[in-house]
Amino acid sequence: MTATRSNNGKESEPAARPGSIFRFLTSVRLAIVVLSLIAATSVLGSVIKQGGTEEEYLALYPEKTYHFIKLVGLDDAYHSPWFYFLLGVFALNLVLCTLQRIRRLAREKGAGKKSVPDVKALAAGGSGFTVPAGSREEIFRRLGGSYRKKPISDTAILYEKGSLSRYGVIVIHTSVLLILLGGLMGLLGGQKGFIVLHAGEETNSAMSRSRGQRAIPLGFTVRCKDFRVSFYPGGEPKEYASDIEIADAAGKVAKEGRIRVNEPLSYGGVRLYQSTYGMSNLFTFVVDGKRIVLGEQEVASAGKAPFMVARYAAEVHNFGPGVMVAYMDGQEPKTIWFLSKVEKMKTHMIEGSTVTLEKIDGKYYTGLEVARDPGVPVVLTGFGLMLLGLYITFFTFHRRIYVVDEGDRIIVAGAAPRNKEGFLEELKKLAEGLA
Amino acid sequence: MITHHTILGVATILYLALFFLHILYFATKKKGVVQAAWYCLWATFVIQTAGIGMRWVESYRLGIGHVPLSNYYESLIFFSWSISVLVIIMKRRLTYPAITFAAAAFSLVLMAYASLAPGVDKVIQPLIPALQSNWLHVHVITCFIAYAAFVVSFICGGLFFFGSGRVVPPADTLDDINYRSIIIGFSMLTSGILTGAVWAHYAWGSYWSWDPKETWSLITWIVYALVLHLRMTGGWRGRKTAILSIIGFASVVMTYFGVNFLLAGLHSYAT
Ligand code: HEM
Repeated sequence: MTATRSNNGKESEPAARPGSIFRFLTSVRLAIVVLSLIAATSVLGSVIKQGGTEEEYLALYPEKTYHFIKLVGLDDAYHSPWFYFLLGVFALNLVLCTLQRIRRLAREKGAGKKSVPDVKALAAGGSGFTVPAGSREEIFRRLGGSYRKKPISDTAILYEKGSLSRYGVIVIHTSVLLILLGGLMGLLGGQKGFIVLHAGEETNSAMSRSRGQRAIPLGFTVRCKDFRVSFYPGGEPKEYASDIEIADAAGKVAKEGRIRVNEPLSYGGVRLYQSTYGMSNLFTFVVDGKRIVLGEQEVASAGKAPFMVARYAAEVHNFGPGVMVAYMDGQEPKTIWFLSKVEKMKTHMIEGSTVTLEKIDGKYYTGLEVARDPGVPVVLTGFGLMLLGLYITFFTFHRRIYVVDEGDRIIVAGAAPRNKEGFLEELKKLAEGLA
Repeated sequence: MITHHTILGVATILYLALFFLHILYFATKKKGVVQAAWYCLWATFVIQTAGIGMRWVESYRLGIGHVPLSNYYESLIFFSWSISVLVIIMKRRLTYPAITFAAAAFSLVLMAYASLAPGVDKVIQPLIPALQSNWLHVHVITCFIAYAAFVVSFICGGLFFFGSGRVVPPADTLDDINYRSIIIGFSMLTSGILTGAVWAHYAWGSYWSWDPKETWSLITWIVYALVLHLRMTGGWRGRKTAILSIIGFASVVMTYFGVNFLLAGLHSYAT
């Protein structure tokens, strides 16, 4: 249908004689090579383990292979310099190719309006027909409904439809660029982390997901007022939701709301997502008469010397649940077990303070994903444009019909570069019952 | 008691009948048999639609109501249904029975696999919270119409090597149907990937996370984008398009089945 449309026909014009590197960078051939390489890298990335530790790799692959994987960055293929290089070349290629196409379209625009092609040849080739002069009004009436009318000369009129279709490819390509741009914005200006809170707790920072788990300051305080989970009769979770209160830097409540899976809450460019939930233990101790509640790995400084909840075990030598506490005896680290079901093991002396384990409670915590991504609106705009572009490229088509008055007869002929078959059917309908 | 399993069983048998009607036509070359096959396809479509509808209703009776588009079994049924929908939509162009024959065979295999394979859980399961989203419906529907279109494209690509006759269309016709299927498939796959990304954005706070399924859908998308560009600007037709559509379909199979079975061993999660 459109295979004959040449891409390099215009490149010899004086104003646009590009160097060969420039021509290479605008070529579809480069696009095909780069897209194939992006696909190939993605295949490798999906097959090779991503972001594992050295031990994990050595368990999977021979050492030489591991070193190669590491060298080429295939252990994090989608963030390797190689992949970014490909995306960069791809973006440049697409920008240049799209600019060229816009220029070409601008030059072509109006070309069809001023000159009439050889309608006799078109009609002879099957893309048109001839009717007696008397059918003129009927032809005009039939075309008038949906075609735009553009008189060219006293005897020739151009009828045009679907001219937007020609811009579809530009819209699609621009949308691809927008999505890449949005991705880049997210990469440079975005942050991700997670928060774990029990009902009643609050925090002003999130943990980064990357190794090392840095704390990311949020600039506001997130308080979990309540967390609830409901289950199906079979035991699978049906819904879980957190009631969240956000206080700004000054401590004033700025936003309140319930976060469910699929229903995030956003505040100041940051979105909070209900990601997971779980059960963790809280340990109530009495230290010299003062009651304190600790989570795992938390340090109490209520007594004469600090101690830490080191480890929980649901069953300690058949004596029921217990918790191991660590403290410093002078310079020497020491541990000691508290068992909640054994009276004698409930209380110990730690560096001169009396410490009693009062109870161990299982309590739900909520796991919230925190994301700041300034690229999202750009990406979403790109999505919308891409669908629009696909629609006008593939599901509308451009056609021109010329009506030429030859005195005693009228020639109706035209062309549709994209959908010849559909166009011929349309012509057939147009000619029906005339002649 | 008649449940949706009974009805879907009838639909499977009808696909089998459809399959044999085509074989009957290949043996006798009687025009009437082709007509009968189209009636049979219509009947199959209606019955299968009813079966899917009943599963939907039954899920509400169980108190875990949701559109039946959420697990592997339901997706297999919907895949086979989508192929029939597409064949019915493209009926005007599918005047040679080889394509409808191969499409029926695909639907039959999918239905048989769904009901017979031991690894496929047929029970109506409750929806986990992440799946409770309207994006799920749009996402699944667009993806499977795309897959169905790529099945038609694959059939055209395969038939290209059989030589035309009364059963197999001439090369030009195959190429035209192939191109139209790829256009539908590519547009729908794009919609599927984009709605999936929007959904992931709302559910997990990240529109793209390179999990194997996402990655393979992108690879498939790139393969078909390459097909379109090679056709548009390189003038690739006929044999070359046929080979490309077979490669593209291999990528579809990897995206839908392969990721679950081949890559699950390497990654801790399987979707
Ligand atoms: C993933 C990225 C891309 C997508 C989704 C895309 C999409 C499309 C689509 C859908 C078409 C219409 C094809 C048809 O009518 O059958 C097209 C045409 C085209 N694309 Fe792309 N494209 C991409 C990348 C590129 C790149 C990087 C170039 C750079 C050279 C390029 C150059 C072209 C050209 C020259 C055409 C033909 C336009 C015409 O003559 O109508 N594309 N593209």
